[in-house]
Amino acid sequence: MNKTEKRHMGMKALNRVSNGSIYVLLVLISVIWLIPFVFIVFQSFRVESTQQVGYVIPHQWGLQNYINLWNSDFKRWYLNTFIIALASAVLVTIIQLCMSYTLSRFRFKMRGPLMRFMLILGMFPGMLTMIILYRVLADIGLTQANAVPGLILVGFASSGMGYYVSKGFFDTIPKSLDEAARVDGATRLQVLYKIILPLAKPIVIYTVLTAFMGPWGDFVFARYVAMGTSAGYNVAVGMYSWLTADQIFGMYTTFCAGGVIVALPVTILFMCLQKYYVEGVTGGAVKG
Amino acid sequence: MMKQYSDLEFLRLSKWQRFLYRLAAFFCAIPRAIGNFFKNIGGFIKRAAVAVVNEFRDIGVTFVHGDWKTKTSYLVMGFGNLARGQILRGLLFLVFELVFIFYMILAGGYWLSMLPSLGKQGPVEGYDPVLDTYTTIYHDNSFKILLYGVLTIFFIVAFIYTWRLNVKQNKIMEQIIKKGGKLKSDKDDLKSMVDEQFYKTLLALPLTGILIFTVLPIVFMILVAFTNYDGAHNGYQNNLFTWVGLDNFNTMFSWTSNSGGGSQSYSATFGEILSWTLIWAFLATFTNYFLGMFVAMMINKKGIHLKKMWRTILVLTIAIPQFISLLYVSKMFAKNGLINLTLLDWGWIKEPLPFWDDATWARVTVILINIWIGIPHLMLIATGILMNIPADLYESARIDGANAWQQYIKITLPYMLFITGPYLLTSFTGNMNNFNVIYLLTGGGPSNPKASGASGSVGFTDLLITWLFKITTGSDAKYYLASVVGIMVFVVVAVISLVVYNVLPSIKNEEDYQ
Amino acid sequence: MASVKLTNVKKIYDKNVVAVHDFNLEIKDKEFVVFVGPSGCGKSTTLRMIAGLEEISEGTVEIDGEVVNDLQPKDRGIAMVFQNYALYPHMSVYDNIAFSLRLKKVPEDVIYDKVTHAAEILGITEYLMRKPRALSGGQRQRVAIGRAMVRDSKVFLMDEPLSNLDAKLRNQMRSEIILLRQKLDTTFIYVTHDQTEAMTLADRIVIMKDGFIMQVGTPDEVFEMPDNLFVAEFIGAPKMNIIKTKLVVEGGKYYVTPFGSKILVDGDKGKLLAERKVPAGDILLGVRPEHIVLAREGEDAIPCTLVVDEMMGSELHLHVDTEDGTRLIVRVPTLDLTKAQRTSLVAGAKLHISFEGKAMHLFDPETEKNFLT
Repeated sequence: MNKTEKRHMGMKALNRVSNGSIYVLLVLISVIWLIPFVFIVFQSFRVESTQQVGYVIPHQWGLQNYINLWNSDFKRWYLNTFIIALASAVLVTIIQLCMSYTLSRFRFKMRGPLMRFMLILGMFPGMLTMIILYRVLADIGLTQANAVPGLILVGFASSGMGYYVSKGFFDTIPKSLDEAARVDGATRLQVLYKIILPLAKPIVIYTVLTAFMGPWGDFVFARYVAMGTSAGYNVAVGMYSWLTADQIFGMYTTFCAGGVIVALPVTILFMCLQKYYVEGVTGGAVKG
Repeated sequence: MMKQYSDLEFLRLSKWQRFLYRLAAFFCAIPRAIGNFFKNIGGFIKRAAVAVVNEFRDIGVTFVHGDWKTKTSYLVMGFGNLARGQILRGLLFLVFELVFIFYMILAGGYWLSMLPSLGKQGPVEGYDPVLDTYTTIYHDNSFKILLYGVLTIFFIVAFIYTWRLNVKQNKIMEQIIKKGGKLKSDKDDLKSMVDEQFYKTLLALPLTGILIFTVLPIVFMILVAFTNYDGAHNGYQNNLFTWVGLDNFNTMFSWTSNSGGGSQSYSATFGEILSWTLIWAFLATFTNYFLGMFVAMMINKKGIHLKKMWRTILVLTIAIPQFISLLYVSKMFAKNGLINLTLLDWGWIKEPLPFWDDATWARVTVILINIWIGIPHLMLIATGILMNIPADLYESARIDGANAWQQYIKITLPYMLFITGPYLLTSFTGNMNNFNVIYLLTGGGPSNPKASGASGSVGFTDLLITWLFKITTGSDAKYYLASVVGIMVFVVVAVISLVVYNVLPSIKNEEDYQ
Repeated sequence: MASVKLTNVKKIYDKNVVAVHDFNLEIKDKEFVVFVGPSGCGKSTTLRMIAGLEEISEGTVEIDGEVVNDLQPKDRGIAMVFQNYALYPHMSVYDNIAFSLRLKKVPEDVIYDKVTHAAEILGITEYLMRKPRALSGGQRQRVAIGRAMVRDSKVFLMDEPLSNLDAKLRNQMRSEIILLRQKLDTTFIYVTHDQTEAMTLADRIVIMKDGFIMQVGTPDEVFEMPDNLFVAEFIGAPKMNIIKTKLVVEGGKYYVTPFGSKILVDGDKGKLLAERKVPAGDILLGVRPEHIVLAREGEDAIPCTLVVDEMMGSELHLHVDTEDGTRLIVRVPTLDLTKAQRTSLVAGAKLHISFEGKAMHLFDPETEKNFLT
C-alpha cells in the first residue's frame, strides 16, 4: 500500500468514525430532549400515588388523573385559554401584519424615529407596566372572573411592538413587485391584498401560529389579572397552583395529566404547520 | 497620541497586533465620542430652538397674511377647511376641538390641577347618618390623579399639534388657491386613505394600542419612581402617595445597610443581582448559541441520514408550552423529585442533591435547563443560516488547504456572527429579562440571607426582572422601588445595546439587507 | 402617444445627497429616448421619477402637457418594464398580463382578446398557463413586456430590461424591442448602462454621469461629435484612445503633434478651430480605434510595439504601446490583412500606425470639453 492510498483510506475511515459518533450524539440528544415529555405521559396514567416518586413506569395504570381534571376547574381554565388563544391569533396577527408591512414598504418621514422609539420602548421591562395595566383593567371591570377579555385586550393592544420577524420576511419580497402593481393601476390597499398577502402566506401562518401558542404559556400577567379568582385563570396559572408546596402532594399526577391535555392540541397543530414555523424563524427572525 | 496605521500597514500586522491596535483605537476614540455627543446635544438644542422660533413665526405670518377664513380657524379649528369645501377634514378638526374643550372643562382641568400634589385629602373616618356608624369616606385618588394627569398632558400635546396642523393646512390651502390649483375633495381624502396615505390607516390601530397600553404605562411607572407609592400608600384606600423627588434612588444606591442586623445595603443587593443577571444573560445566550449551532452542524453534515427526523424531534419540544416543561423539570430536580428519589433508590447518593437549595447548584442547573429549553430554537435559526452560506466558499477554502476546524473558524463562524449579530443582541437582552425560566424553575431561590433587608425576599437566582416582580406583589409591595429597578434595567439594556450597535456592522445599515 | 417634459428636475435624498441635478429634457411624442450612463449616474432615478415611484424633490414632470408631480403612478398613463421583470410569482402568465386590466374592471372577453393578442406578438401563447418560475429568463422578459403592452399607455418605460439576460438573448431581445416599438408606436423611455443598446435602439440618447446630463443627441451626434471627454470615452467600443499632446498653429493651420509626429487638422475641423480662435497649447486628442490604421514607416507614422492582440472574428484589436509608453488600441478588419501580415502580428512585433486629421477629436484638458462643439 503506498502513501497516497493510505491517505485516501484514512479520510474515508475518519469520516466513518466521525459520522458514527455524530449518530451516537444525536441519539443521546434526542433522548435527553424527549424524555421529560415521555415521563409526563407515563406519570399522568399513574394511579397508586399522586405525588412524586422514584420511578417512571406506573405500578398501576388508570385514568383517575384525567377524571380528576374533568372534575376540577381545569375545564374552565382550558376554555379561557382557548378563547384567548383564538382571539389573539386573529387580532395579534392583524396588528402585527399592519405594522410590519407598513414599516417594510412605506418610506415616510416618521418611520425612522418611530422604529427607534419602539426600540427604546422595548428596552423597558414589560413587567413594569403590569401594575398599572392591572389597575386600569380593574377600573373597567376586566379582572378576576372577567380576566379573559382583559387579557385579550392587553395582549393585542401592545402586540404592534413585535413586528420584527414579519418585517424581516416582508423585506425579502422584492419591492419591484409593489412598484409594478402600482404602475399597473393598483392602490396601496390592492397591492397589499392582491400581491403581498398571497406571497406572505408563510409569515401569516407563522404569526397566527405564534399568536395562538403564546397565551398557552402566558403566566405572570395572567396571574396578576386573575388575582386568585379561579374562574379567571388560564391553564398556566391554574396548573401552577397545583404545584405549590401545599398542593403538590395531591395534585402532581393531575398536573401531568393536565400537561398532556394542554400540550396535545398545540403540538399537533404545530406539527402540521411546522414548515411555516421553520420558514418564519429562519427567514424573518434573524433579519429582524 | 497613538500611531495611525494606513490600511496596508494595518494588514501587515499579526492578528494579535491588530486586536491591540483596534482596542487602542477604540479607547482613544472615546474622548472624542463624548465630545461629539455633547456637541451634538448643543447642536440639537440649537436646532430645536430655531425650529420652535420658526414655528411661531410661521404661525404669526400665516395669521397676518391669511384671509378671514384662515383667521377664524385660529379660534374655530377646521373652519378654513369647512369654508373651502373640505367638509370631512373640517368636521374632524372641529369635533376634536370640541371634545378637547369639554374634556378640559369637565375633567382634565381637575386632574391637571391635582397633579403637583397627587391629591390633598386622603380617606377619613366619617359618620354616616343613614347607617348610623362611622365609615371610611374616600376622597382623592392619587393613582388616578397621576394616571389621568399624564393622559391629560398627552391630550394637550395632541391638541397643540392638531391646532398647528390646522393652521398649516389653511396656509397650504391658500397657497393652492392662489396658484389656481384644486383643493383635495373629501372623496380624494377618502381615496388616499387606501393609497398614498395607506400607511396612516394601517398604523392607526397598532400605534393607538402601543400609546395607551405601552407608552402611557411606562411614563406612569417612570413617574412612580419619584413618588412613595407602595402597599401602605396606595393612593386611595389607605394613604395618598405623593412626590418624593430622588429619595427612592437614594435608597437604592445608599451604601448603608438598611435594616441593621447583618443585612446588606440595597446597593449591594442590587449589585449582586445585576451581576448575576449579566452573567446569566451572557451564559444563557452563548451556550445556546454555540451548542445550537453545533447541533445544527451535526444534523447538516454531509452523510448524516434522517436529517428531517432529528430536526423534528428537537422542534417538537418548541411546541409544548414552556410553563409545562419548565414546571415539570423544576419538580423533577426538586429535593423529593424524580431524579433525587431515583438516585436514592439506586443507592447512588445518600443525601438528595441540592439542585435548588444551594446557590451554585441552582445557578448551574438553571443554565443547563435553559440550554435544554433554548437549543431547538437556535438549531432552527442556525440551520437556516448554514444552508445559506454559499457552498463555493467552502470549496475554495478546501482547495486553499483549510481543514474542518479552520473552515469553521474562518468561514462558518464569521458568517454566522455577522448575520446573527442583531439576533444575539436581542437574545441577550431577552435573557436579561427572561422571567419565565427563572421564576418557573426556582422562583428566584434559594433565598439570600444577606439580602433579607431588601424588599421582596431576594434569592440567589433572582434576575432584576424577577426581583422587580417580587417587589410588586404582596401587601407590602414597594412599587416605587420596582419602578427604580425597572429604570435601571432599562439603563443597562440601553447601554449594552448602544455599545453593540456601534460595533456591529449588520445593524447599522438596515437597507443593505433588503 | 404623448410627450414628456422634464423641467429642472432634481432628486435630493435625505442628508443632502443629490442623485439628479437640474434635469431638463423634452421628449417628443413617439420618440425612443435612451438614458445611458454608468451605474449610479441617476438614470434609473430619473426614470422612476417619471413613473412616480420616486418623489420629485424639485422641478416638474409633464406628461402630455399635464404636470404629474402629485399623481400616483397608476394615474400617469405609463407602463413600465422592470429590470428583474417583477412578475407576480403567484399568478399565471395570463393573470400577470391581465392584472392591470382586471383592476380597471375591463370585461373578461376584452381581456382575453388583449392578452392573447399580446401573447401572440411576443410568442408566449403556449406559456399562458404557466407560473413565472417555470419560465426561462427570456420568456419572463416577454411576459413583463406583455404586461406593459396591454395597458395602452401613453409612455412606455423600460428600466434596464435586458441586463439580466445572457449576451445572445440580449441581442435577440434587442431586435425584438425594435420591432415592438414599430408595432406599438408610442413614446419610449429606456434606461441602460450598455452603450450598444443605447446606440442601436435610440432616436435620441441622453448620456448621464453623477446626476448630470453630459450630452443629449442622436446616436450619430454623440458618436461623431461627443461634447466632452466622458461621452467620447463612453460611446463606442473599444473605447476611444486619448492622447496627451499639443496643438500648434503654423501659417494659420492647426497641427497636432502626437508622439513626435505632426498631423494636420484638416477639413471642417481645422476651419472651426480657426473660426473659434482656439489658442495653441496642451490638448487631449481623441482617436477611435477604428480610425487608426497600420502604416508603413514614414514621417507621420508613429512607431509602437504590439502588446496584446485580440481576435474578435471580423476584426483584430491590437493593444500597442508607443515609445513613451502610452497604450493605444487599434482596430483592424481581418479582411484587410494578408496571411503573412496576420502571422507577423504577435506580441513584441514592431508596428507603425497613423491616423487622419478628420478622425480626430480635440478636447480641452482642463474643462474636458470638445473644442469643436
